Amino acid sequence: MPGPVTVFAAKKIITMDASVGEATHVAVRDGIILEVGDLDDCAAWGPCTLDERFADSILIPGLIESHAHLLDGLLWAKAHYVGPIDRPDPSGRLQKGLTDNDALIARLKEIEATMSDPTKPLVGWGVDPSLNDPIAPITRHELDQVSKTRPIFLLHASCHVGSVNSATLEMANYAAIRVPGVLRDASGAPTGELREMAAMLIAVKAVAADMIGGSTDAAQFYNFARVAQARGATTIVDGGGSTYFDPAFLASALAATEAEDFPARIVAHNNGITVPGVDDMIKFAKGLDGKGNDKLAFQGIKIILDGSNQGFTGRLRPPAYLGSGENGLWNRAPDELRTLVPALHKAGLQIVAHCNADQAAELFIEAVALAQAAHPRFDHRHFIVHGQMLDESLLRRMASLGIHATLFSNHLYYWGEFHRAHTFGAFRAAALNPAATALRLGVMVSAHSDTPVSPVDPLFTLWCAANRVTATGRVLGPQERVSAYDALRMMTFNAAYLLHRDHEIGSIRVGKRADFTILARDPLTVDPMTIRDIPVQATVVGGRVFPVG
Amino acid sequence: MAEQIPVAVIGGYLGAGKTTLLNRLLSEAQGVKLAVLVNDFGSVNIDAALIAGRDGETISLVNGCVCCSIGDNLGLALHDLAERSDGPDRILIEASGVADPARIADYAGSHPRLALDSIVVVADPETVRMRARDKYVGDLVRLQLAGADLIVLSRTDIVDAETCRAVRLWIETEVPGARLALSPDLDHGRMFTSWTLASELPLDGTALRAALATLPTEIVRAKGIVRLLEAPDRRFVLQVAGGRWSLDAEDKDVDPLTKTRSVIVCIGLTGQLDPARLDCHFAGVARTVGPADLVELLRRGASPPREPHP
Repeated sequence: MPGPVTVFAAKKIITMDASVGEATHVAVRDGIILEVGDLDDCAAWGPCTLDERFADSILIPGLIESHAHLLDGLLWAKAHYVGPIDRPDPSGRLQKGLTDNDALIARLKEIEATMSDPTKPLVGWGVDPSLNDPIAPITRHELDQVSKTRPIFLLHASCHVGSVNSATLEMANYAAIRVPGVLRDASGAPTGELREMAAMLIAVKAVAADMIGGSTDAAQFYNFARVAQARGATTIVDGGGSTYFDPAFLASALAATEAEDFPARIVAHNNGITVPGVDDMIKFAKGLDGKGNDKLAFQGIKIILDGSNQGFTGRLRPPAYLGSGENGLWNRAPDELRTLVPALHKAGLQIVAHCNADQAAELFIEAVALAQAAHPRFDHRHFIVHGQMLDESLLRRMASLGIHATLFSNHLYYWGEFHRAHTFGAFRAAALNPAATALRLGVMVSAHSDTPVSPVDPLFTLWCAANRVTATGRVLGPQERVSAYDALRMMTFNAAYLLHRDHEIGSIRVGKRADFTILARDPLTVDPMTIRDIPVQATVVGGRVFPVG
Repeated sequence: MAEQIPVAVIGGYLGAGKTTLLNRLLSEAQGVKLAVLVNDFGSVNIDAALIAGRDGETISLVNGCVCCSIGDNLGLALHDLAERSDGPDRILIEASGVADPARIADYAGSHPRLALDSIVVVADPETVRMRARDKYVGDLVRLQLAGADLIVLSRTDIVDAETCRAVRLWIETEVPGARLALSPDLDHGRMFTSWTLASELPLDGTALRAALATLPTEIVRAKGIVRLLEAPDRRFVLQVAGGRWSLDAEDKDVDPLTKTRSVIVCIGLTGQLDPARLDCHFAGVARTVGPADLVELLRRGASPPREPHP
């Protein structure tokens, strides 16, 4: 028997639907949209409950975070956020950024004072000396001011560096470790800065072992969804490293997401990252097909081609990195990719390819061309993740092969100045994440945060794509700015399209799921520079209201 | 140091011949418990007759060797091996075809029970020059070769002599001072020969440094713990890998009059390492001094300023 009808009233409903653009009321039953129009239109479905709590607000399709990592949820569960960027935590409280070492030490002291067991390690995450003012390393000298006896481990935002205190160095026996990434002072003593996993590993094992190795902690799923929901997301992608093919992990994920009050939908990519063989990749992906629930689905298989641009491990076309002319690292061999991509394509999977720099994208495009020549497939919707250095030529080839992209627009703000000065130089920095060109050429693009790399905040990501402003206020590549409407479409319909879910979510249309984001102001009419400041008041997922705060 | 398990990294681009080499080392190991860490069991294709059993991520061989899958964390897999009670005598890591073997080698220092032995990079003589020009991987192939302590040319038994000669010339130009070996010459166990210098007396540091700076290129690796006349209250750790060497004082004091033997072991390719030549090369290092001279030297030899850490 059909359930009761609820009609949500809004000051304005922005549908993002191609045929009907605006409305004031939307009728919902059993999680599905029945009607979109005015109150009378909705009343055609019979008796209803009129919900007017959003009557003075703007109702838009639920925002979609098209690339993020579950690790964000695990970090919130296992460690204290102590980074320089403001982030709301899973309880909805804003954790203010700590932008210098004094503030960091003061906060760590506060945390330390609340810990009763004196041997329990203090683990933190999100620190980033490059965003601090002044830029200063975080060494054992700073951390020893917090405690000389309790082990401290801080994972940097890049996830490639750790800072530890003397207690951790001693406990993990760093005197016996000979790794170049263990930075040392003039006397040969470790400074407490550990660069790359080889250097960090023994400290992680000693004090933060539960951060590695496929934790099944249920809190990670809730935290991951909740932090995104607090910034207006109704669907969030878990971008590929998780081990859902492991029955224990899957059981934990299903149990967590089945809860009525689970606050967002998760679309998880299958794991083509840590599963080594192509046969297993396909087997695991097919095995998970349809295994999800209303709030957990599996879509696409994620593979990684290169590293990170700001970490100097992206694969660039000539002239490669600014100044040095050096290049980054492949994650998989190009020759392997020329067989892997066609194999996944032939198996009917959607390929989600991490290509940070342009040579990685070029190779992926080449591999898809091989795949299409051998086994033509329509509407596969393979897409590139990050695609930061795509240009018109690559985008035209993508359009002709049916490849789309989610761009890392947040980079323009957080690392735009860094890219201009240290990685790419002026021209290539101005051309980063070319959303306007992509849309003009018919490539469906979305944009993402890659949390925990940058905070999940779809309105902020939208703002980045529309304004292309760096942290110091410079506009990078004004030609590639997109309109607020296009930016909103990137974060809704286009993202849904990439996830093969545009028939279900991504716009407000009769028959689709009732996933909405409620905003205090209209993102299409305010000054685009103020979009990121629009308060998110609530989200609605399948007709259920999830308040913010 | 005696407790440490030597770790070698086998690198080289896809198709260079890494797994063939590993397979051979595994199947021919005699009396040496090798542990081989590989990216993918599927590609190793171990002879079924050799397999004693499989337990999750580990395949045990009848000759006592094991082959382990790296899984998604090389460091953890390596530490797991280091901490086993029945640990291996040696560990070989198969670096992925696109890895920088020098970065993989960093992991050898990440556990107190492990020590880097050498970085071996395998190259296919028929394709290596083409790979080195490839727009996608050329820089990487050259980076791998440059970081090698030893470059092994694979398949030299089936590639024509002219190609082999040309490739050797090319590598010598591309990587000056490279140590080269041809795979058919490689026989496990007899692949390397060692030469040892042992002395009851402290060594002459100046002569030792001079000898290290001019080491014959057939030495792939050398290590040692020595005492020097210039600082008799310290032990020094000697490491040589490829063309690089270091001689670092240990932190702790030792009684100048305690007898500690100085030992240096040099490892080179069998057939290339010439013991007589090394005897000459290190001739001035172990000085022959009478007891009275020694006491005088020890008395004069107050601790010198410590060498800065590299």
